[in-house]
Amino acid sequence: MEILASSIVAGLLFGMVLALVALGLTIIFGVMDIINFAHGEFLMYGMYTALLASQVLGVDPLLTLPLAALVGFLLGIACYKGFITYILRGPMIAQLLGTFGLMLLLRNIALLVFGSEDRAVHHGVLVDKSFEMGMGIIVPATKLAAAGLSVVAFVAVWLLMNRTRMGKALTATALNPQGARYMGISTEKMNALAWGIGGASVTVAGALIVNFWPVNPYVGLLFTMIAFTIVALGGFGSVPGAFFAALVVGLITEIPGFWDFLTYTLELDWMYDVPMTSFKYMWIYVAYFIIMVVRPRGLFGWKH
Amino acid sequence: MALLAVENLVKDFGGLRANDDISFTLEKGELLGLIGPNGAGKTTLFNCIAGKHPVTAGRIVFDDEDITALKAPEVARRGLARTFQVYAAAGDLTVRENVMVGCFMRTASRRKARERADAILEDLNLTAAAPQYVSELPVAAQKQVTMATALGTRPKLLLLDEVAAGLNPGEIEEIMASIRHIHHDLGVTVILIEHVMELVMRTSDRVIVIDSGRKIAEGLPDEVARDPQVIKAYLGDRYVQEAGGGEAHP
Amino acid sequence: MEALKNAFDFSDQPRLDLTIAGALALFLLIFPLLPVSAFALATMIQFFIFSLYGMGWNTIGGYGGQVDLGKAQYVGIGAYTTAVLLIRWDIPFWFSMPIGVLLAVSWSFIIGYPLFRLSGHYFAIATIATSLVLKDLFEVWDFVGAARGLEISPIAYQPPDYLRLIFKEDIYYYYVLFAFFLVGILYLNWFRKSRLGFQLRAIKDNEDVARSLGINVHWAKIKTYAIATGYVSVVGSFHACYIKAIEPEDTMSLDISILIALMAMLGGAGSLWGPIIGAGILIPLKSYLKEWLGGMAGLAGMDLILYAVIIMLISAKEPRGVWGIVERWRRRKRS
Ligand SMILES: Nc1ncnc2c1ncn2[C@@H]1O[C@H](COP(=O)(O)OP(=O)(O)O)[C@@H](O)[C@H]1O
Ligand SMILES: [Mg+2]
Repeated sequence: MEILASSIVAGLLFGMVLALVALGLTIIFGVMDIINFAHGEFLMYGMYTALLASQVLGVDPLLTLPLAALVGFLLGIACYKGFITYILRGPMIAQLLGTFGLMLLLRNIALLVFGSEDRAVHHGVLVDKSFEMGMGIIVPATKLAAAGLSVVAFVAVWLLMNRTRMGKALTATALNPQGARYMGISTEKMNALAWGIGGASVTVAGALIVNFWPVNPYVGLLFTMIAFTIVALGGFGSVPGAFFAALVVGLITEIPGFWDFLTYTLELDWMYDVPMTSFKYMWIYVAYFIIMVVRPRGLFGWKH
Repeated sequence: MALLAVENLVKDFGGLRANDDISFTLEKGELLGLIGPNGAGKTTLFNCIAGKHPVTAGRIVFDDEDITALKAPEVARRGLARTFQVYAAAGDLTVRENVMVGCFMRTASRRKARERADAILEDLNLTAAAPQYVSELPVAAQKQVTMATALGTRPKLLLLDEVAAGLNPGEIEEIMASIRHIHHDLGVTVILIEHVMELVMRTSDRVIVIDSGRKIAEGLPDEVARDPQVIKAYLGDRYVQEAGGGEAHP
Repeated sequence: MEALKNAFDFSDQPRLDLTIAGALALFLLIFPLLPVSAFALATMIQFFIFSLYGMGWNTIGGYGGQVDLGKAQYVGIGAYTTAVLLIRWDIPFWFSMPIGVLLAVSWSFIIGYPLFRLSGHYFAIATIATSLVLKDLFEVWDFVGAARGLEISPIAYQPPDYLRLIFKEDIYYYYVLFAFFLVGILYLNWFRKSRLGFQLRAIKDNEDVARSLGINVHWAKIKTYAIATGYVSVVGSFHACYIKAIEPEDTMSLDISILIALMAMLGGAGSLWGPIIGAGILIPLKSYLKEWLGGMAGLAGMDLILYAVIIMLISAKEPRGVWGIVERWRRRKRS
């Protein structure tokens, strides 16, 4: 029972972080119908920012979040202004491959600058602490804090998009770019803004994740794929959809835990032999494939 | 026996009833005009007949066979071809290649498809344009190519959706001549949608008028033109258009 | 018979193109006999390999316009089939290769059926997902060596072994592959003018119109996807005999899938020569960049940075590729 409960809790907590990871991707897609292969690379830069800033400044990694947000915002706008705007009107394949090029660029710059070895956060108020949540569920403090702060950040961005003038302009552009133009909203500016906000939210997610996940220049792709899956499941461009889809994906990453639970419960010999932990992320792709085929509009399909 | 019989056809898009209880029959060899103001449901009717949209209710019988549930490719293979209102032929293909795509429905042989495509192009006076890319042609010629492509499938019935829209008077004459040729000399039964009433009136054997999804009149062109309901539908439409969409009604 | 004639019929191509193609074919024929380095020969073999991958991709991705980013899984199926059959049962290449094609094509039907219900971004990501799933499975599957992969030990055979395709010198591989290359071109030449090829181009242009012309869009895509798979799987089998050590990471990674699509796009997707031009530019570029910059201390990744910049420039400035430039230029000259 403990295994089951802690798998669920761990899955949901990780899902909350993943929601923030996917948020930027879905905002960008909502505004301009492009999917960004370099999304996970933004996350990787967020991880490095938090890690290095905390080492250099000697502060807790959690205090570096604003800096990570700034880095992500600027990086997002730079990528948009410097590159994305030139591929927006091209065919879809050029967009896909173009952002793949961007991904390679960002990844290998990181390789050049930071080197290829794994780095992890070893110091911080939360490191190596954990909470006992009852029922024998133990949650590392880093993950709990990351999940909580992710939800805070997610809601903050959601409010930003729905309550502020700027955010409303952005949403209007997403819903009806032409109409928004007539109202004097510059699509170009809104696109750049979407990249800024998208970049900031995913680097913040990276800065949170680095507290419990070692960073190297190759870490991005996995998160890109996870974010794709979430965004597709939630319905491309849908922010609330992304949140719930992220929880589902978070639970999917805990399938090995559920498997263990079943194994101990059913005590079937063959179940012990299945190397389920090796398949941890494969289930995400399987889920994506199946759900897309069964429900092409996404799991929740609010928009589109 | 009629070539095509549409019985009580209904088509809903969500809450919108685009076709409301439409019935008509079409004899082999006829040229039927289908008119009605913008948004009346003409294209939707074509889409239902040609199997692009599933119908909400009703029955479609073509050549003694119930085709209501068939999908577009299956309908096409039974000899019912159509053109699209807002579509020009494939720009990345040459004129000949476009027509060959149609011809390939009846043969797998490239040689035969090509011979047949060339014959159709010659028949429609398009031989000179055969090696050109469609994207390089004027709109009128592109419309002709879509008709030629549809002919490539050897249809018994051809549905033409506003092929004359957006053309100048000279081009309209040309395309009308082509349509008469297809109908008269090639023996293809035709349903012709036109937004412009006069065109259809001159060419068709019989006319059906649709307004707001309903069939409001049917008969010989002269009769229909005098029908008060038709005049109302059309004048109303024109009035609104000219006045720029005010709330005034005649 | 007519099909064979059509495969050899290049009469719709401009005379200039054919002359250049002929001259290049001649050059490729004598290339290994020239005093070239082993590195150049190996690079040329990679050029053939990726040309063939690109030709396969070009059927579904270029002519059909379906952005397929999962071709690597079929490299893996071909390579693993050949390696497993050779190592376990000593079944030579010429038998294992068709078996690999059979397996790859069967798999392509199984996943192609649901895959082609999707379109646009959903489709592209789904192709990636399927490829990664297969890779993950191979990484834990002990029968195929899991993440360690498989190794064909050349000592067990007596090169030159034409049946098993085990050679000591690259020149043998070069000529075998050159033959595949020519056959690949002929097949593509037949395909683009076949009924399926025409149907596919119509589908790329507009699916509704294609349906109205009697084309079963879903089925046409699946069939073409299988053809593309065939190309890739054959070369995958070859790759196993050539490289002799295969693992999931270097046969089935996303990078390979992307490189395949990139190649075709750079040269010009949906054209006969596009993938070859793309491979001809990108492969030497990539391997020489790596040779010059990859080895320099402190410059790890520099070659890939340049490579990335090139990809970005192409997608921003010339998404229709080299062939797009040529076509545009020709159309302007004609009008
Ligand atoms: N695919 C569709 N989905 C929803 N509504 C549609 C669709 N096609 C047509 N309609 C609606 O049905 C009505 C009839 O349209 P249409 O048949 O195109 O008219 P017409 O061809 O007579 O101008 C219009 O109100 C149009 O907006
Ligand atoms: Mg219409």
